[in-house]
Amino acid sequence: MSALHSARVEKWWIIPTVQLAGFVVVVLLWEWVSVNRIIDPLFIGRPSGIARYLKTAIMDGSIPVETAWTVGSTLAAFGLGSIAGIAFGLLFAVYPIAEKILEPLFSGLNSLPRVALAPLFLLWFGLGVASKIALGFSLTFFIVLANTVAGARSVDRDFLILSETLGASKAVVFFKVMLPSAIPTIFSGLKLGLIYALLGVIAGEIIASQHGLGQLLTFLAGTFDTNGVFGVLLVLGLTGIILTKAMTELEKRLLRWR
Amino acid sequence: MNASHRAFEPAPPSKQTAPAIEISGLTHVFAGAMQAVSDVSLSVRAGEFASIVGPSGCGKTTILNLLAGLLPLQTGTMTVAGRPPRAGRHDIAYMLARDSLFPWRTALQNAMVGSEFRGVKESEGRARAVEFLKRVGLERFANNYPKALSHGMRQRVALARTFTLKSPVLLMDEPFGALDAQTKLQLEDLLMNLWNDERRTVVFITHDLSEAVTLSDRVIVMSARPGRIVDDVSIPLPRPRSVRALQRDPLYHELYAKVWGRLEVAVGQANIDSEISG
Repeated sequence: MSALHSARVEKWWIIPTVQLAGFVVVVLLWEWVSVNRIIDPLFIGRPSGIARYLKTAIMDGSIPVETAWTVGSTLAAFGLGSIAGIAFGLLFAVYPIAEKILEPLFSGLNSLPRVALAPLFLLWFGLGVASKIALGFSLTFFIVLANTVAGARSVDRDFLILSETLGASKAVVFFKVMLPSAIPTIFSGLKLGLIYALLGVIAGEIIASQHGLGQLLTFLAGTFDTNGVFGVLLVLGLTGIILTKAMTELEKRLLRWR
Repeated sequence: MNASHRAFEPAPPSKQTAPAIEISGLTHVFAGAMQAVSDVSLSVRAGEFASIVGPSGCGKTTILNLLAGLLPLQTGTMTVAGRPPRAGRHDIAYMLARDSLFPWRTALQNAMVGSEFRGVKESEGRARAVEFLKRVGLERFANNYPKALSHGMRQRVALARTFTLKSPVLLMDEPFGALDAQTKLQLEDLLMNLWNDERRTVVFITHDLSEAVTLSDRVIVMSARPGRIVDDVSIPLPRPRSVRALQRDPLYHELYAKVWGRLEVAVGQANIDSEISG
């Protein structure tokens, strides 16, 4: 049998089963190490304790409410950041002079570790969601900008020659050739930008906030509730996965032609 | 501007003898002093199918790009339908070596690109695109995206896109150069059928001598760089032609040998072996 064929006969349930088994083994080992104090539970918590925390925190509404704050701020930061990023990216692609003028400013800001801006954003926008949105925006914007410029520049030269020989107007070339060509690359920027928006928002919440999973995380760590910290991390991971999956789904629908 | 385009749009190739393309004393030098074309003079009648053959780098594509207005004219004169070439003229259609279909458009939407970009009414453009998609045998694939089409099918769509335009002058830059031998023969037959109905003026660039002899009324042979015209061989094979039938036609083989001989003399055996596969 060929290698191609034997790769195909693999049963669909083998991989999920191995993954589940691995997960169970790690959790049991973790519990055992913790119960027998081989490592102090203060550092690593305990799976059963994490489950108990999550149950309580979900029932009393704190996890759903804080998740809503974080996700809401993330979506706002992502939305504003990507609109601005795409707008500037297209501007740069159409008017390279605009990019030349703004290049020193933008590359300077982009090289700056964005979290360092958090104190300034707190001062400007206060402890509420606005400062978190600003931080998420500052990350998303540059990622989407870079991808939009790269996408718009990657237009197939033959497409431009064809358009030129057809006598297409600049507007037609922009909307019907350049923009559709750039969309796949813009989309990879958007997927990355969403994750970075979440990163910015969480960082902002950790530094100073009244709401959100980041704030909850700081609070739990400050009170040495290790199980709680792990529980929130789990929720954060799941949130990230769901956001990414949603974007991938959207991409599949919009870019069926790929 | 637009009004002058429209005046040329319908022009049917009625006067078979009027020169559609006139080139005289054309010399083109690229940056770095590489001379691509040297003192080329050429005239193509309206309704004539003229091929330009020659080794790679002989400047045949340069001539085509100058005719399409994609390059600025340096030395010499050049007119298409009596006027200097300019990119975007509605009476000229240009077909590239690669299909250059937009991957985000279906076959039908791609066939409509030309008329759409030229501002033809949507219903009219669609009707013509549907018609030509049918002519190239792809009506069942109208709603497929290019990724679901084979190379040959994609180039068929590109042919439909080109013929959907009503331009009386067609400039084709090795449109079948990237296809496998079998597909190429099928598309040559298809092109002959499409062309035979309307007899538009065609300048066809190729390095495949059998393709040139099969399709053309005239084969213009160019030398290696800097490209000069070495010979202008008329191909009096009766039309309509078919690729398969021509294989059994002694005149076809005679003409093929003649073109080959001219090229040999001009280029030298060494260059032929390395650069011509036809």
